Amino acid sequence: MASADHQGRKDPTEISRTDGAPSTPTSCPVHSHATEGPKRNGLRNGLVGHRDYVKISVPEGKGNKLPSEWWKTIIALVYAVLNLVLTTVMITVVHERVPPKESSPPLPDKFFDYVDRVQWAFTVTEVNGMVLVSIWAIQWLFHRYRAIVGRRYLFLLGTLYMYRCITMYVTTLPVPGMHMVCAPKLYGDSDAKLQRVLQLLSGGGLSINGSHLLCGDFLYSGHTVILTLTYLFIKEYSPCSFWWYHLVCWLMAAVGVVCILVAHEHYTVDVLVAYFITTRLFYWYHTMANLQNLKCSPNNYLTHTWWNPVFNFFERNVLTQVPCSFCWPMTWPPACLKNPCKKYSMVQSGREE
Amino acid sequence: MSGTGVSLTSDGRGCRVMAASQLLDEREDEIENEGYHMMVTIEGRTHLQTTPARPYQDVPSDHNDDKPDVNESRNGFRKTLRKNQDYVRISIPKANIIQATTVSRLPAEWLKTCMAFIWAAFNLVLTTVMITVVHERVPDQSISPPLPDKFFDYVARVEWAFSVTEVNGMILVALWFIQWLFLKHRAIVGRRFFFLQGMLYMYRMITMYITTLPVPSTHMVCASKLYGDSQGKIQRVMKLMSGGGLSITGSHLMCGDFLYSGHTVMLTLTFLFIQEYSPRTLLWRFYHVICWLLSAVGVVCILAAHEHYTVDVVVAYFITSRLFYWYHTMANNQTLRASPRNYLNRTWWNFAFNFLEKNVKTTVPCTFSWPVSIPSVCFKNPCRSYTKVQSTRDE
Repeated sequence: MASADHQGRKDPTEISRTDGAPSTPTSCPVHSHATEGPKRNGLRNGLVGHRDYVKISVPEGKGNKLPSEWWKTIIALVYAVLNLVLTTVMITVVHERVPPKESSPPLPDKFFDYVDRVQWAFTVTEVNGMVLVSIWAIQWLFHRYRAIVGRRYLFLLGTLYMYRCITMYVTTLPVPGMHMVCAPKLYGDSDAKLQRVLQLLSGGGLSINGSHLLCGDFLYSGHTVILTLTYLFIKEYSPCSFWWYHLVCWLMAAVGVVCILVAHEHYTVDVLVAYFITTRLFYWYHTMANLQNLKCSPNNYLTHTWWNPVFNFFERNVLTQVPCSFCWPMTWPPACLKNPCKKYSMVQSGREE
Repeated sequence: MSGTGVSLTSDGRGCRVMAASQLLDEREDEIENEGYHMMVTIEGRTHLQTTPARPYQDVPSDHNDDKPDVNESRNGFRKTLRKNQDYVRISIPKANIIQATTVSRLPAEWLKTCMAFIWAAFNLVLTTVMITVVHERVPDQSISPPLPDKFFDYVARVEWAFSVTEVNGMILVALWFIQWLFLKHRAIVGRRFFFLQGMLYMYRMITMYITTLPVPSTHMVCASKLYGDSQGKIQRVMKLMSGGGLSITGSHLMCGDFLYSGHTVMLTLTFLFIQEYSPRTLLWRFYHVICWLLSAVGVVCILAAHEHYTVDVVVAYFITSRLFYWYHTMANNQTLRASPRNYLNRTWWNFAFNFLEKNVKTTVPCTFSWPVSIPSVCFKNPCRSYTKVQSTRDE
């Protein structure tokens, strides 16, 4: 019987590693040696005596599984802002390279063949976008874990805008419609270019406030990115039962996107690619973030992205799915609200008397 | 007898939850199932818990009669264990059963591979038709000159570069084909390749169709437009298909299929599959590097030849690699499939994925085998089979 053999064996805790356990201590359950108490020794010896066993550590941390870590959110904000500024600069640069309408007419587009331009459609898009962003801002403000959620939103936004910088820059598409009025080219005038950058930034890149008179930023559509991403976040971080709310937001996003095309402000391929990239990135990120066992899996191909280290940095200490819970955005010093009676019972009782 | 116990410990707290007693009660089960059992103990709770799931609590404890010499120690052990309350019994089939079940966990299902092949072929044909359609809509070079492209600004056109791309592509496809032929689970792997290829070509069809980019360079010679001539168009489709869509065979004289680049898709996808389904040893790594070089050089040469815009190549690479990783993550992580938090299944093709991968229960191991299995009768003990005949002949 094996028992006799096992008695003389090495410490059972040394045979505790399972095969294929990855070595990153921060994201995978760590095979730690439990503190040996007298009770355990007997049990452990018994175990050793009778069987080979494999020890799998299950971290049952009472520690915070959803730490706020606002500083990480700030970093994400800086990242997003940097990318937004870079995009704005890039639009200004690309504008100089847009071929004039006369020499490079709008490219053939199937949607434009069937649907004529509607002048006010782009206003609808931008209004929908602003409404969605406002709704999302309010929802975010009331979310309990707004630090984590905000971080994710800002990171994805920044990354999508960075990708957009690249696609905008490498190949410049001509204007999609003859109706488009592009500001004159500045050629060497850096001051004026800087002014344009600031104007675009201050207007949020929207045409509705007259800040966006530059052309060339067609592939892919930033408006589609915002509409899609905001809707995805609204849906993800709100209760599932709010189906009416989700439906309304979805309608706003969908109508906004269709109106971009109806207004002939973007080619169809711009919108399609933007939708594809936004949704894929969102699902990719959230699958990685929400499935803790993926982090330890050797078959996780989702880590084969350049931004995987950034993801690990942001989500390292987030050990569970962010629950959908809300609370007041402004907390008075928490002591005042948390069990006021219990904490200040003496003071209060003294006061009441 | 063999057995494995698993104890789950945490970072050093309270008490444990044990199920080791089950091992002692499991002899009969073991003999029946020829397997072993994992006992799972969770250490680290600060208090003893009783859980409702205690499936084998009532197993009688009189199965350990076989070896009376260890009976006493077992009883003591069991008592120790029984003091702890929660346990979970996980049955794990033994090695030979695992082997047997591995085979059934990776069923070939050639029917599904055929369906995937049909899907890919269908999309290839459709793409060819689409190229012919789009060709009619490409704006004339005089009306719509090539769009400004950063790469083209810096790198002048190299005439022979596209031949390099296509030769590299053909080499990579040939290498992959040979590798695939020698894979043991070629049905499953082939299915995946065809499915992804079909999908990528379908997406390409959509992007090609909705917006037509002008030719990237003035050197391009586009065949004349046929307008209403359906016969001529069908002929072109056949010619393009027979040439495999390659310019090197002289079959690709049509323009308009720029966003996104099919050559990049093939180069990237083939390389990803070659890398994925081959061993990771040093020698094979060398092979991977060579394939990667072939692929990378091929892609860069597309741009050097001014055959595609840079954005075509970038988008093609992005879509191909993301789709590949997405699919393989879903396929290789069984836990994902059941998880409600799996956002990866929110794709329109999830049903197709489930159909293709339903019975594939584990990662496809990287094993090779001869493509054609010679009937073993020919090799198996020829002497024994024909001893009588041979011995009479020899005499």
